[in-house]
Amino acid sequence: MNKYVKSIIALTAICAAVALLLSATNMLTAPIIEKNESAAANEALLVVMPEGEDFTLMDISSYTLPETVTEVYAESTGGYVVKLTTAGYSTGMVIMCGVDATGTVTGATCLASNETLGAEKTYGEKTVGKTVADIDTVDTVASMTKTTEAYRNAVKDALNAAVILGGGSVDLRSEEEILKDNLSAVLPAAEGAFTPWFMVEELEGVSAVYVADNGSGVVFRKGEEFVLDEALSAVVVGSKTEEMDTSAYELHSSVTKVEKSSGGNYVVEIKASGFGINGDKYYDPSGEPILLRASVTPAGKIIACETLQQSETEGIGSACADPSFYTQFNGKDETNYKEIDAISGATLTTNGYKTAVGRIFETVKILEGVA
Amino acid sequence: MQKNSNLSVLVKGLLLENPVFVLVLGTCPTLATTQTVIGAFAMGLAAMAVLICSNVVISLLRKVIPDTVRIPCYIVIIAGFVTIVQMFMHAYLPELYDLLGVYLALITVNCIILGRAEMFASKNSVARSALDGVGMGLGFTLALLSMAVIREVFGAGSFAGIAIPFIKDHTIDILTQAPGGLLVYGLLIFAVTALTHGKAPKKKSFGCEGCPSAGNCMSCTGKEEN
Amino acid sequence: MENTKLLISILFGSILVNNYVLSQFLGICPFLGVSKKLNQATGMGIAVIFVMLVATAVTWPIQKFILDQTGLEYMQTIIFILVIAALVQFTEIVLKKFIPALHKSLGVYLPLITTNCAVLGVTINNITDGYDFLQSIISSLGCGLGFLLAMVLFSGVRSRIDETRIPQYLRGLPVTLIAASFVSLAFFGFGGIVENLLK
Repeated sequence: MNKYVKSIIALTAICAAVALLLSATNMLTAPIIEKNESAAANEALLVVMPEGEDFTLMDISSYTLPETVTEVYAESTGGYVVKLTTAGYSTGMVIMCGVDATGTVTGATCLASNETLGAEKTYGEKTVGKTVADIDTVDTVASMTKTTEAYRNAVKDALNAAVILGGGSVDLRSEEEILKDNLSAVLPAAEGAFTPWFMVEELEGVSAVYVADNGSGVVFRKGEEFVLDEALSAVVVGSKTEEMDTSAYELHSSVTKVEKSSGGNYVVEIKASGFGINGDKYYDPSGEPILLRASVTPAGKIIACETLQQSETEGIGSACADPSFYTQFNGKDETNYKEIDAISGATLTTNGYKTAVGRIFETVKILEGVA
Repeated sequence: MQKNSNLSVLVKGLLLENPVFVLVLGTCPTLATTQTVIGAFAMGLAAMAVLICSNVVISLLRKVIPDTVRIPCYIVIIAGFVTIVQMFMHAYLPELYDLLGVYLALITVNCIILGRAEMFASKNSVARSALDGVGMGLGFTLALLSMAVIREVFGAGSFAGIAIPFIKDHTIDILTQAPGGLLVYGLLIFAVTALTHGKAPKKKSFGCEGCPSAGNCMSCTGKEEN
Repeated sequence: MENTKLLISILFGSILVNNYVLSQFLGICPFLGVSKKLNQATGMGIAVIFVMLVATAVTWPIQKFILDQTGLEYMQTIIFILVIAALVQFTEIVLKKFIPALHKSLGVYLPLITTNCAVLGVTINNITDGYDFLQSIISSLGCGLGFLLAMVLFSGVRSRIDETRIPQYLRGLPVTLIAASFVSLAFFGFGGIVENLLK
């Protein structure tokens, strides 16, 4: 028994001695380790905020920040360094972005990425000095749009995060989400599932139509308003289009399909020449041509226009598939359809598109027998 | 062999009782940290520091520690020194600390250290135990270095991070990976066995009781010797 | 769903890709020492799985709820190794008393596990990798299974080596290591499989 007790005492004593020794060593080394680590961490932070001093890691769990934000360091003069993880062509792009107290980007750098083209290495420099208001004006890099767009959006998220952390509020919803929320507010019965309706009938003052997938109704956009309108709904629901047999007419060879709506309007589907093709040709040897359609009144006025498919240069000509471009033709007729804003940097794509729209007017004239 | 001279206590660890190649102890760090010369050197020195300290302390306490709980006591002392070395490395050599990673903590269960504590330090004077620690530590370091030199020079075409012309264009990548480590280790043991043949001591008589595989380990029981 | 995927990738990752023995070199001593016979290899492997699981189940809460809370992280190594040593002793006593049959088959391997660096390694790695409790358990299970797999496979290789004539100085350890090198090479082929499987 005595031996047993002695063993326990010896072991306990040794444990205690070792623990004491360790805590002494820890007291000696812990400050140095901490200093080293914060110096190493600060070094990375200083790259994106050269003027910054004394960063502290924030607890962001109580804020609703953009989903890409993973870490935030608060800087002593009121700025923030935000670490974000986003995806360009592949996942795992880690970006660090500094935002000063005035909400201006002080620097952005990519810490890790799996991108192939390397645009992320220097793109951050372009965002320096931007604020929430003008971050969208930073151009993406042609042929590396996905990477640079993701990068720009990450910087924007960092700016938004800084606003939120500073006590402000930011609408973090994407355009699609905003549209969905607006539609649901007007027609909750649709449970958020809507399909845009291509306007083949003239609807006074309406710029867009959304049909509920479950048949519970139709929402109309009039200016900035979203409204229900029973009379117009009847038009939309009752509208039918039927494909026309155009073999009796001599239409331009780029016209692929013509439909006639129950209201007597034409829906013309046509190919347009893209980048590299100018003049009369409508095809693009390097890929698929642009395909678009427009609904036109018998009098030759465009009701609605949209791009169905395109394979233009990513980030330049591809903007022809953007509603902000093609909806410019809505309400235009033969006299004024050329007065639209061209896509910047893609004159040839714009010209090809305009030529195709011009041929739609010709087609309608032939079909109406007035040509 | 002059059994009692202090010099022989020191030098025996280098080749004749080399802990890595002859006693075959501490194989895990031997294989894991010898991808680079720097890593091997750091691991060797860290283990040597722990070995010397634990040998000295255990030798000092050899009359105090009761026989029944000696192994737990040794483990606590060794783990303590490992943690101290870890903390100092973390503070002053952070890059090496990151390089060695978990293997630094695993010095605790390195059989060389427990083995020497059990077989030598618990039976010898403080001075001789310290010398034994230096000798074994040097032997361990040298063994790691020789493995690392082969693996880094031929596997990565560099020495301590400095690229070597010509060889760097003709590297055998697999040497820096796991299979290469095992292969080089096997070939080096073969070389040392061939060199020391007839002189190598019966492995039975050395620090095996603390080794995890004692009893089953072929190099400890000598069953393989036939 | 994401979580299940992660758990599966941790499990198979630690069995095949990051096999503790063959690619991380943890637990090499028993791998070389006890893999001579298939039944020994299996016994050791199962004992290791058991101790790894119990050790993780004990050390993870200790780290999270005691060491991290009190700022005593530097006691990690000492506490963990003591816990493992105590657990091994305790397991042996319990087995001996209540399941003597199991003790008879596994008992001899238990004391050897205390200083098996794979056990200490897996408990420390689980903390370093920031796994939560379930992930830690799964990772330990994977490492243990990986250890068992390596042991069983290698015991097969060794039984073939025993039947061949080998040059004098290569006999014993050198040829064993070289054979282990080839087994390790085979495991190389698993790299990338696990990630791609779950894509």
